[in-house]
Amino acid sequence: MTSIKAALANLVSQMRPPESELPEAELVAGPATIEELAHLLAQANAAGLKVLVWGGGSHQGLGGRVAPDLLLVTTALDRIIAWEPEDLTVVAEGGVAAARLEDHLGGRGQTALLPTQPLQATIGGVIAAGISSYRRGRYGPTRDRILEVTLVTGDGRVVRGGARVVKNVTGYDLPRLAAGSLGSIGVIASVCLKLWPLSAAAATVVVDDPERVAALVYRPLAIISTRHNTRVYLAGTEAEVNSQIGRLGGDGQLGHDWPADPPGGMRWSLRVPPALVNHALTKLPSTWSYVAQHGVGLIEAGSDDFEGAVELREWTEAIGGALVLVAAPDEVYGLIDPWGTPPATLDLQRRLIAAFDPGRILNPGRLPGGV
Amino acid sequence: MVLTQDLRGLLGEEHVLETPLARHLYSTDAGVLRGSAQVVVLPADARQVSEVVKLANRYQLPLVARGAGTGLAAGAVPLEGGIVLATTRMNQIEEIDVENQTAWVGPGVINLDLSRTTTPMGLHFAPDPSSQAACTVGGNVANNAGGPHCLAEGSTVNHILALEVVLADGTITTVGSEAPDPIGLDLRGILVGSEGTLGIVTRALVKLTPNPPDVRTLLASFSSVADAAATVSGVIAAGIVPAALEMMDKAMTVAVENWLHAGLPTEAAAILLAEVVGETDAVEAEAHLIETVAHSHNAEEVRIAQDEAERALLWKGRKSAFGAVAQAAPNYYLHDTVVPRTKLVATMAEVYRIGERHGLTMLNVFHAGDGNLHPLMAFDARQPGMLEKVQAAADELVELCVSKGGALSGEHGIGREKRDLMPLMFNEIDLDAQARIKEVFDPENRFNPGKVLPAGSRCFDLAGGKLPDGVWV
Repeated sequence: MTSIKAALANLVSQMRPPESELPEAELVAGPATIEELAHLLAQANAAGLKVLVWGGGSHQGLGGRVAPDLLLVTTALDRIIAWEPEDLTVVAEGGVAAARLEDHLGGRGQTALLPTQPLQATIGGVIAAGISSYRRGRYGPTRDRILEVTLVTGDGRVVRGGARVVKNVTGYDLPRLAAGSLGSIGVIASVCLKLWPLSAAAATVVVDDPERVAALVYRPLAIISTRHNTRVYLAGTEAEVNSQIGRLGGDGQLGHDWPADPPGGMRWSLRVPPALVNHALTKLPSTWSYVAQHGVGLIEAGSDDFEGAVELREWTEAIGGALVLVAAPDEVYGLIDPWGTPPATLDLQRRLIAAFDPGRILNPGRLPGGV
Repeated sequence: MVLTQDLRGLLGEEHVLETPLARHLYSTDAGVLRGSAQVVVLPADARQVSEVVKLANRYQLPLVARGAGTGLAAGAVPLEGGIVLATTRMNQIEEIDVENQTAWVGPGVINLDLSRTTTPMGLHFAPDPSSQAACTVGGNVANNAGGPHCLAEGSTVNHILALEVVLADGTITTVGSEAPDPIGLDLRGILVGSEGTLGIVTRALVKLTPNPPDVRTLLASFSSVADAAATVSGVIAAGIVPAALEMMDKAMTVAVENWLHAGLPTEAAAILLAEVVGETDAVEAEAHLIETVAHSHNAEEVRIAQDEAERALLWKGRKSAFGAVAQAAPNYYLHDTVVPRTKLVATMAEVYRIGERHGLTMLNVFHAGDGNLHPLMAFDARQPGMLEKVQAAADELVELCVSKGGALSGEHGIGREKRDLMPLMFNEIDLDAQARIKEVFDPENRFNPGKVLPAGSRCFDLAGGKLPDGVWV
């Protein structure tokens, strides 16, 4: 082992990650401060180590596989730094579990609109993986609410972009670049998120025809179909929600009964223009389970094999969408590209990532095109 | 001149402007800076834009894209000469997709024209800057424009799904997609708000928003700015994010009322304009709650617009406020900064103090719900030393807002105006990272040089730094 690697092993031994189930790697580190994180990455970059960034591990199935030299666990970066309820903003470190943050904010009737399942998913992981909650039908995706981000780049620089205000156009929009970047432009050390007040009333109504809903209810929270049924999720004042339940002609159930993940050993994210959700469902192999978000264009699907996936991907890409593998046994990734056809701007993306991670050490190969 | 011949060959005689008048007109925007356009071109589509970019590369000239020129931060001012590319002719609303609630539009489409066209289909384009009757979608994209209604709906970036863009080497490419969550890095997100420094947008796929079934617009008047500002915080704390929440101070209200005659309460120290949209049950409940909050903060009067005509009049007052200032003084300098909403009261008090200290009339009309301030200084530029005074006050305003945890700009952009104030918000590592982004997209610094990033942001001198003679900032 070179001296730099020995120094790294020593460094890593001082940053033990919190107890949790982790994959194997030669080195495992859980920096607890942004300074530790920056120091660690500078050293890892100097040593040319491949780093797999790990939050709650919830979305690790997304993208190409990484065989890491160093597993970087972010869950020790777990502080909620500042919450200004009257500003509708919160600042938290990347390793804070999204469900924990939501629980915290809910105490005063606010929400960051983050997904709260699975429980261990971290804010940094959710943002890096570009995940949004079902409430995006009404409120838009998570990336629309990242006001400020502090990243630690592949070569250990601490870079901040955006600001802790709800409206800002100062400089390039680094927070948006971080969303969905899968750690490639840096490890998300902390973020400031825009919040919304929680509605006074919530209800779930089963309907027959998702296409009729828009004419009856102005911008519901979500309209979601599974193989079982279609449910409309309502939120607002009590009078508003009651009146909407009446118009939908169904029995309203109080609260939001969100669907579970579609069952199956493999999970997919099918992304199509919003109006084509029903059409896309007809293209889905009949054995696949699904959770389809009408008005959004996102269909999460589950299957036991990838038979039919190639044809489905061809159709989806032809209409400008994508079929992305989001979870599967490791060997499947050698048989089918998890992303499909990479974007036309691949070269630009590669160069942009190199500006933040010149040694390409952060999650190398995880992005489309094997970037 | 060879360049002009090449451009004429490419675009046709009438789409290459070189007269002194044209060059003069296209050398500035709605702000106070002036540059020097060498030649102005009006391409018709992405292919022509691409060819112009290649010519700019061949002749090693700067290329500055512009829409309607309503910007106030000198974002479209050709500070280093070169070619000005106006998007005026790329003004087609190409495909409106009612089912998907989207439209492909040219960058030269005027913001309000887009909403007017789609309103009969039950849809509108949510960003609504005060200049919406003149400003273009391309300019909105470049500046990530806002407007009163982005309080609930977010700025332009939330309403752009994809962009066709010409890159610095002339490549035409599309970023983003109609389908959600396009794979790979979100280049659409970084291009929006990049002020023409990373690429030239030739088409945009915009997201359209369903028109609300009902609306309530309220006007509340207060005997103190502090009470009005406290009402803003109070409304948010009560669990409502209105569609818009705007404030006007006395000086501005008087200026507006003098010509609009809308019956605005000119005795009030501040007025709030609030709007809630949605289903009738919801807007009634929310309007009632806002009224209650306003009264709890000593509102003198709360008026609810009784019909669409009254609502339109109130909004006309808000959106044409800047024009109304002409009666106070021949020139004005309109600022755009942001503070956290909770710092509004303290910040406003300081804003007036800065005005008093410099002997300047300070008028205010702004997006209170977002904490997005627009202090406006009315002045007469013919008075010796006045410009310097205004500039000194402007810098103090920005420093004040940053010291309160705010930002340099909420919706107008950085351009040249605030370029050198960037270090107030970002350290050298942050700025270097931004400069690296610029370098990746535009290695020869061809697009809109001298904007957004201060000189020396990168290890080499990216912005050049030298201003042309006669320019004042």
